[in-house]
Amino acid sequence: MKTFEERLAAWLEGRLTGRELAAFERELEANPEAVAETEADRELGNLLRAHLTAPPLGNADFFNHQLLRQIEADPQAPARAARRPLFWSLRRMVYSGAFCLLLATALYFAAVPRTRRQMLHNELYVHNVLNASATDPSITASEVVHVRSDDPNVTATCFHSKDNDVNVVWLDGLSYLPRDHKLK
Amino acid sequence: MPLEGEPDIAPPDAHGTEPPDPNDGELVSRCQRGDAAAFNELVTRYRGKVYAMIYNMVHNEQDAWDLAQDGFLKAWKSIARFRGQSSFYTWLYRIMMNVTIDSLRRKQVGGETEFDDSIGLRNIDPGSVTTPRAGAHPQDKIAGDEIRSRIDAAILRLSPEHRAVILMREIDGMEYQEIADALDCSIGTVMSRLFYARKKMQSMLRDVYENL
Repeated sequence: MKTFEERLAAWLEGRLTGRELAAFERELEANPEAVAETEADRELGNLLRAHLTAPPLGNADFFNHQLLRQIEADPQAPARAARRPLFWSLRRMVYSGAFCLLLATALYFAAVPRTRRQMLHNELYVHNVLNASATDPSITASEVVHVRSDDPNVTATCFHSKDNDVNVVWLDGLSYLPRDHKLK
Repeated sequence: MPLEGEPDIAPPDAHGTEPPDPNDGELVSRCQRGDAAAFNELVTRYRGKVYAMIYNMVHNEQDAWDLAQDGFLKAWKSIARFRGQSSFYTWLYRIMMNVTIDSLRRKQVGGETEFDDSIGLRNIDPGSVTTPRAGAHPQDKIAGDEIRSRIDAAILRLSPEHRAVILMREIDGMEYQEIADALDCSIGTVMSRLFYARKKMQSMLRDVYENL
């Protein structure tokens, strides 16, 4: 429901039509104070419009000239301001690339090398085993007679290396071989 | 004077050789790409209306000139943020009005008492505003200049906000919603300010306009 003032404003602006217009004009007839006030407002408006005339802008061309000089002297051009909202500026792209590179490096050292280190460790282990025959005569002729471990994942295999002409006992699943344990 | 200041696009001549004037939207787009010449055209298009509006607020030609320059410069700096949700003139009008009101407020801080809202309100008799005062100055004794100076003096006694709404409404012919948009306030606030502004003006000018 619009207030009286809102309907009055709409009436003054000619926005009331049909039944709304008729109803409001009936309401005005029943409200002489409002009519008088409206009439006073109209008189005031007519007075202001009749006498409040601004002088024309003098030296209009100079007005533009002066303004353009200020614009040229001001480093803040609108085009520059318009580019500001763009996220992928050159500087941000460089920073983002560097950040991604650092992140990838950190992930590499945190996750990938664990398996690789394990592989390197295994290779070194095999290498040591394969070369053991040349340096350690005590294990050149080994024979697996018994495997005992609490860990069911521990397995023992035996094979012959033709290149090195040795028999290899491959123990898998052991984190280390205690010094006081010997293969029999 | 309508608020929507966007002039119609001029049609080409009979031979079709005369290109139409670019509309405000095209000029604004060029401005947003840094084209100062396009902004110069917009300034030419609206400088007269803007100057008149500010002059009626400040009643000083030099101040009106300076404030119009300041307002246009602000418009140039912020035109990249203009999204076309209103007409360019409505947007420009808002900037100009803010610049003008800010300037008037700064002067108000200087100790002038002319914006005292309580002035004249106690003496308002709503029922008496339409009653002619036979003993007042007759019309033929009041010259146009005197009327103008009385109006100017009355307007100067209004606060910047009250001054703005009554000029926007009565001189620029803006609708309530347009005034609310330009001043970034509600229609209710516009109505309230307009009511008090009118009452104060009526109380100060009653002897003038009732005898015209």
